[in-house]
Amino acid sequence: MLALYAGGGSTEQGPGRRGFGRWLVPLLVAGAWFSTVSPAGAAMSRGFNRLLEAVVRIDVREVAFEGGTRRYAASIGSGVILTADGVVLTNAHVVSPRAVEINVTLSNLERVGARLVGWDHWTDLAVLRLDLAEVQRRGFKLAHAQFGDSRKLFPGQVVFAVGTPHGLTRTVTRGIVSNTNRYFEDTRGIGGYETGTFNTWLQTDAAINPGNSGGPLVTDDGRVIGISSRGYMGANNLGFAIPSATAREVMEKLVRDGAIVRSYVGLVPGALQDLENFYALELNTGVLVNSVDPGSPAARAGLRPGDIVLSLNGAKVDGRFPEQLPPIQHQIAGQPVGSSLALVVKRGSETRPFTVVTEKLESRVGEEWAFERWGLSVRKVSRAYARENQLDDTTGVVVIGVQPGFPAESAGITRGDVITKINQDPIGSLEVLKSAHAAYEAKPAPMLLETERNRRVSLFLLKP
Amino acid sequence: MRCTLLRPLLLFLTLLSAAAADDLPTLWAERVKSVVAVEYVVETEVARQPSAAMGTVIDREGTVILPSGAIDPRTPVWQLKDFKVYRAGDPTGVAGEYLGQEAFTGWHYLRVAAEARAALVPVTAFAASGDGRAVALADFVWGIGLRPKDEDFMPYILQSHLALIQSLPQRTGIAQQEVAAPGLPVFDRAGDLVGVAGPSGGQTFLQITRTGRPTPVMLINVEESSTFLLAGEVLPHLDRRPRSPSGRPLAWLGAYGLEPMDREGAKYLELSAQAGVVVSEVLEGSPAEKAGLRARDILLALDGRPLPPLRPDRVVVRFIEREIERRAPGDRLTLTVLRGRDRLEIATVLGEEPKLMREAERKHFDRIGVTVREFVYGDAVERRVKVADVAGVVAHHAKPSGPAAVAGLRQDDWIREIDGVEVRTFADAVARLAGIEKDEARAEFVLLVARGGETAVLRVKLK
Repeated sequence: MLALYAGGGSTEQGPGRRGFGRWLVPLLVAGAWFSTVSPAGAAMSRGFNRLLEAVVRIDVREVAFEGGTRRYAASIGSGVILTADGVVLTNAHVVSPRAVEINVTLSNLERVGARLVGWDHWTDLAVLRLDLAEVQRRGFKLAHAQFGDSRKLFPGQVVFAVGTPHGLTRTVTRGIVSNTNRYFEDTRGIGGYETGTFNTWLQTDAAINPGNSGGPLVTDDGRVIGISSRGYMGANNLGFAIPSATAREVMEKLVRDGAIVRSYVGLVPGALQDLENFYALELNTGVLVNSVDPGSPAARAGLRPGDIVLSLNGAKVDGRFPEQLPPIQHQIAGQPVGSSLALVVKRGSETRPFTVVTEKLESRVGEEWAFERWGLSVRKVSRAYARENQLDDTTGVVVIGVQPGFPAESAGITRGDVITKINQDPIGSLEVLKSAHAAYEAKPAPMLLETERNRRVSLFLLKP
Repeated sequence: MRCTLLRPLLLFLTLLSAAAADDLPTLWAERVKSVVAVEYVVETEVARQPSAAMGTVIDREGTVILPSGAIDPRTPVWQLKDFKVYRAGDPTGVAGEYLGQEAFTGWHYLRVAAEARAALVPVTAFAASGDGRAVALADFVWGIGLRPKDEDFMPYILQSHLALIQSLPQRTGIAQQEVAAPGLPVFDRAGDLVGVAGPSGGQTFLQITRTGRPTPVMLINVEESSTFLLAGEVLPHLDRRPRSPSGRPLAWLGAYGLEPMDREGAKYLELSAQAGVVVSEVLEGSPAEKAGLRARDILLALDGRPLPPLRPDRVVVRFIEREIERRAPGDRLTLTVLRGRDRLEIATVLGEEPKLMREAERKHFDRIGVTVREFVYGDAVERRVKVADVAGVVAHHAKPSGPAAVAGLRQDDWIREIDGVEVRTFADAVARLAGIEKDEARAEFVLLVARGGETAVLRVKLK
């Protein structure tokens, strides 16, 4: 099972710190010994030194809307400064929009504040900007690292991971590139958000542990060729990083726009491997349509599961192996939202063109909120969630938690219910509930909720 | 009851009851002739599964009723084979003929072979009146249990006192302890019939292990029950007999997902001293749809009679279902509903229940390792698809490690295409799969299956 490698919450960190506390000093001493006594080797290259100065530790406090209330949790991750004006790249699972406080520890061990510029859970990347005014006021000098080209990596090439595993600041580990093109997709990988659809991953045996997340994976000249992100639970040295080719593109867009907009058509591709004969295809041609999301642009255009897409906007596609699917998805996602995508499709013996008008890609995870007087945490029903759960439309909120002894729980509301109406009003947006909650806070009075649970409609009364 | 304890215990019970009422052993000896043990086999293409139940004799023609839980409702009737009936304490069984399930009472009916009927006594012989003897709180009640087959279905006595009567929605007596095996009669001190035991309610216990924390577990006694339907809920309905082994005709309304409102919700809608039930969906083409019932209508009354405020809330749903089951296709049923702020009367004419999953045709393909089942109305409802769009078959069973299962096929997958060709009907799918199965040269074929709104192309390797 692949696990995210951000440091855990405070409860997990406690014993970890105690356990490692004794060893912290010797390890740091060992680090100093390398830099002074051993003049040779990768760690001494100018580029590598500069990289070390650009690696930061990130301490985050974030809010969670679970269990019918707001809860705050602390975690630790890593990051790397990539521009002279203090842009830090890290993982989306280290810093998300839920972060309420971000502190960055520089190589001089001093802490400065930072803010989130944007995040992209699909590629598990987030961009922060250091508080430059503070940096200047305190007279700190910022070093920044440079990207290398992840496309030129080869299996067996020596790489280093730098970060804050288990809170151990400034840890360097060494390994090799184990695989340059690992396919891995997870529909709930980043705190319930989707990831891995549009990129493949670098695999390395450099030790990557919880807390390494967001730290750079570098070559011996200190060039950033990946962002360490996740590892296999219970396995030895199976670590994964987002390749710099992806990271660079995402970072530039996040710095420029604060968000990444992608196109969605609703095709779920499958690898064609060994099915070429059945579909009477030349080798290395086409992508199998394994599924078409109901109600999606592709479904409306008439595409069907079992179709073979031969080309996208005139360019031939080849989806023979799973590793080849993310670039194809990336190509579709890169089209402007609302543009027409020309597909040539083989269905049975006939080949014909289709035109699909793209929509904006959305996560299945909608906006979250906690209504504390009711002891109720909810998440807005998104278009993707509605599709997945065969809901008629995006009206309503999904209950993600209730607090025992509070009105929502007493009324009989449980996790997973979709609340569709309050006092007969459809819940088209979170604002409807927010204003009802504000009215309740001002003057508590019973409120009637309509919910759906496994297609069953129930009425519940929220009572003071 | 443990085997080794049985004899001393029986002796003890006999002595005890003898002290309580002199004639109990005599009453007991007569009444054990009205109970039987029943064995049958569920036969599928790949397995024969023996099952057992207990039943009560209800007339001189050797008719036996078994409680509805005696046979898994998902089992197709044609898979029920080799019914054998055993008298209490007698290891020689005789053949029984399965007559079907009665829609309203849920009882399964069975007819015992003629040669064994003389030794049986119908339980109606012990009924004091048409509605049976009334029973009151704290009254002494007793019944019969049967030991397993390897103990010759030996009868034993169970006795208790009535602790509570509830409407669930039938009038149901709950005794202090187990009073009879499920499906067997319950009597009073005079030997008059007071009810028939149903399935036992669960009891919650705390399970304490040396390591973990105590965890609550619910235990259900499947051999003996403390719960029984009062005779007034049994005797008047004994004349209802299944008209066919399939149990049809079955009345159908088509209001799906009936959710009772709790007391707070009902009060908020100003419903006093009655229940309200939300209709979640109205099924396509159903009598309810034709009559104009809509999703989210709140059902208030049937034929002008307000829904009773039964406890717990859920029981009212069973009440409504019984009101439908009591009727026949073609019967009228007027619903009173609350829609927004309006009260409406909706006159429905009940229809015939569409083909059930247990009635769907099936076919097993051994080489492929799959049993396919006809796609029926209930499948369309379950998958939220239009009945008109229905095509394909359902994977009823994928043999573990069989070619289909290895390719990723799972039970309940909806097979839409075989070898790239859309499956229209069950016969169509069977013809295609039979062709593939017969073709020894075939190394592989391709299925398109749907599962939970997604589809996948599966490659089934036969070699």
